Amino acid sequence: MSDLLVDLSQQPMFRQAVKQLGLPLPMPEKLRRPRGPWEERPLQDRNVVVFAGGALAEVFARTLAPAGATPHVVGEAVTAFVAPGEAWGRPPVAHAPGDTPPEGLRADALLFDATSLRSPADLRALYDAFHPWIGHLGRCGRVIVVGRPAQGFTNAAAAATAAALDGFVRSVAKEVGRKGATAHSVFVAEGAEARLPALLRFLLSDRSAFLTGQPWTLDARVTHDGKAPGVRPLEGQTALVTGAARGIGESIAHALAAEGARVVCLDRPGDEGPLAQVASAVKGLMLALDITDPDAPAALRAFVRDPANALGHLDVVVHNAGITRDKTLARMSPEYWDQAVAVNLTAVVDLTTALLEDALGPQARIVCLSSVSGLAGNVGQSNYSASKAGVVGYVRALAPAIAERGMTINAIAPGFIETRLTRAMPAMTREVARRLSALGQGGEPRDIAELVTFLASPGSAGLTGQSLRACGGMFIGA
Amino acid sequence: MAARRPTQTENRRAVIIGGVRTPFVKAFTDFTKMDAIALGDAAVSALLERFPVPRADLDALIWGGVILPGLAPNVAREIALDLKLGAHVEGMTCTRACASGLQAVTLAAAAIERGEADVIIAGGSDSTSNAEIKLPQKWVHALAPLALGGKPTPADYLGVLSQLMPITDLLPKQPKIAERTTGEVMGVAAEKMARRNEIGRAEQDEFAVRSHHRAANAIATGRFDEEVCTVTTPEGTKVYADGLVRADTSTEKLARLRPVFAKDGTLTAGNSSPLTDGGAAVLLMSHAKARALGFTPRAAFRSWAYSGVDPADQLLMGPALAMPKALARAGLSLANVDLVDMHEAFAAQVLSILKMLASDAFARERLGLDRAVGVVDPARLNVHGGSVALGHPFGATGARMVTTVANELFHSGKETALLGICAAGGLGAAAVLERVH
Repeated sequence: MSDLLVDLSQQPMFRQAVKQLGLPLPMPEKLRRPRGPWEERPLQDRNVVVFAGGALAEVFARTLAPAGATPHVVGEAVTAFVAPGEAWGRPPVAHAPGDTPPEGLRADALLFDATSLRSPADLRALYDAFHPWIGHLGRCGRVIVVGRPAQGFTNAAAAATAAALDGFVRSVAKEVGRKGATAHSVFVAEGAEARLPALLRFLLSDRSAFLTGQPWTLDARVTHDGKAPGVRPLEGQTALVTGAARGIGESIAHALAAEGARVVCLDRPGDEGPLAQVASAVKGLMLALDITDPDAPAALRAFVRDPANALGHLDVVVHNAGITRDKTLARMSPEYWDQAVAVNLTAVVDLTTALLEDALGPQARIVCLSSVSGLAGNVGQSNYSASKAGVVGYVRALAPAIAERGMTINAIAPGFIETRLTRAMPAMTREVARRLSALGQGGEPRDIAELVTFLASPGSAGLTGQSLRACGGMFIGA
Repeated sequence: MAARRPTQTENRRAVIIGGVRTPFVKAFTDFTKMDAIALGDAAVSALLERFPVPRADLDALIWGGVILPGLAPNVAREIALDLKLGAHVEGMTCTRACASGLQAVTLAAAAIERGEADVIIAGGSDSTSNAEIKLPQKWVHALAPLALGGKPTPADYLGVLSQLMPITDLLPKQPKIAERTTGEVMGVAAEKMARRNEIGRAEQDEFAVRSHHRAANAIATGRFDEEVCTVTTPEGTKVYADGLVRADTSTEKLARLRPVFAKDGTLTAGNSSPLTDGGAAVLLMSHAKARALGFTPRAAFRSWAYSGVDPADQLLMGPALAMPKALARAGLSLANVDLVDMHEAFAAQVLSILKMLASDAFARERLGLDRAVGVVDPARLNVHGGSVALGHPFGATGARMVTTVANELFHSGKETALLGICAAGGLGAAAVLERVH
């Protein structure tokens, strides 16, 4: 998928010319994306500037050094970084608070521990930390602010302070987006600190390239054995991907297989050709099934339980299949309404219900594809938005019910992704959709696949019931 | 009282009878005309002069090498044939970068203990002076129709010419010691390790000076006489002694050298091992065979271990993983080991590994141990110098270390020694030797 503007922006001469001529052209930064499956040290040689005034210095230290990062620690917390630095050959570099960053130091990430902030006046610490450093954030850098969830505070002022972090991060995301850099807020409930390293590893890495302005909430509701493999997280696991014949689904099937999963590729009858190609490329199984068929849930369960397929159960379920049947409400036929709701929502609910009976493994991970349209609404998509908002409600409601079984369910809301569907859009509409985001460009199917893979991994146990945008920071959406 | 009869296992145990090496000299000096095979010939013939094994009892040669001669890569067999050891003396050649020499010796010990052989000569040699300059494979592919076909037509010649453009693709590649996967030159990797483990220049220079002074002392007192042979070069020169050791070096002198791998770096020619030519050979036998032939064993292996790490991380840290593994297999702790001998690729690399072994944090995170492996007392470490002073003919170093340590155990009456070698590819090698009573 080529985006001419992103390609041109790589040319120094083009950048120079646009600058000199004062053209009102956005110059989106080419995003740094990972090559190949999860690596042992996703942050190899990255400079991560840490502001660790709260309770998380130890967790940050134990996350960064093994991941290959060089910690630059502003303030006293540097002692927590000494032992991991010794073990992994990543001694911390200490910086005094208030000092100007050393000339020529490019920060690949700024990581702030906000867990000790309790009152609106404390928020000044954000300004004091980021003001001198934000200009030193490199291309495709990361800003991550970690606090406590607002709902965990009985004190309203403390809750307000926690909530403020979200607004701060969303604005920073928009300010740094033109550099290809992204920003996230992470809210860690008391007792869920051990689940933070896996998320930080993902967010700080190139795998989160197209995600930005996103709040993430970690809690310890889901039963978990504490295992969070850094490489081949899905080894020995089985996965189901619906709508796997092409586009985002195909990309997801590849990503899951690359991490060691045996993938069942499902798509509708009629698409057997491309489906078979994907299934064979990922060395997985193929299942041609109309998921809106009343017998589909039973058929899927039977397929999973069939000893001939040697699956036993599914560890990962990705409800990716989706359709649009766009018309303004006044012109929409009842068939359009029914089709969109049946594929995008009814099938998700019915298949999940059937699988939950006896076809899911312990610690199963369910990931549903929603859409920013579901969060923000869109002209001509009342059916589609209803179904996609329904998915958001579904994961929120189901999450607590399956937490004790060690299972999680989350939704992903993609924004503009460069696929067959978006290529068919009118050129101007497409151009506007691409540029109206913090990163100034569309995402690629693999960006969604990376987030799915993270949510499918054992280490994502802290996240459940959430809807996460993968939209490059679109102006619309929650 | 009658002596206890040795058990079957004791009889089969591989013991080290002794070793001999050529002098180690700087590349492109005295041994320039001698390739790895010629250096091997020199070491093995000298070994057999000192330890005259009846040829009929000699089973095999196992040889380690890194820069193998392209047209005759099975160096072991070539040595056996060159020296007319007898057609029955079979040979194999192994390569495990700088641990190739130790690999050859442990392969021999394993073969003897498994009962495949009773007497094996194992060792290694390398000639940096004879590194082959590789033509790009494009030449090979383009010339194949002319070289391997029947009668080439003018069109074939034209076809070959057209494939050989652009000309820059055809220039021979300069050989360098760089990782295949990362392209990183080893010195640059060691420079990074120095920085990441906070090893300073002064520390490295001091270590290098100690290595030189200890090696010089070993030479001056005749300690190396039994393990270094005289080599006559094809030009007729006789080389008696190691050529790289500087008795007169000092930290002041080394401090004047400029860093070679990074502008603001700490690694210099003085605290790194130089490119070297040389060979070393070790004679191993089953204990029963040694008794039968009347040879006195000097040492035996209690354990060995090899390890791997990601070359893109800390390329030369392998011994920090392999040495604890070998200790565990030997049922020993570092504190109980009398001697430690480490290959000195770079002073910075040895000091980095010593720091890792001494770190509680490293032991917990990387080895799954409760506390540090231990602090290595400089008095027990590389008592007769190491590769920084003596030089490092890649394949020979392991056999040199086994020889020196076996002799040291034998003469000093000490009981155990731990060896550690780092190698390209992120490999580590280690072994525990003990005296044989």
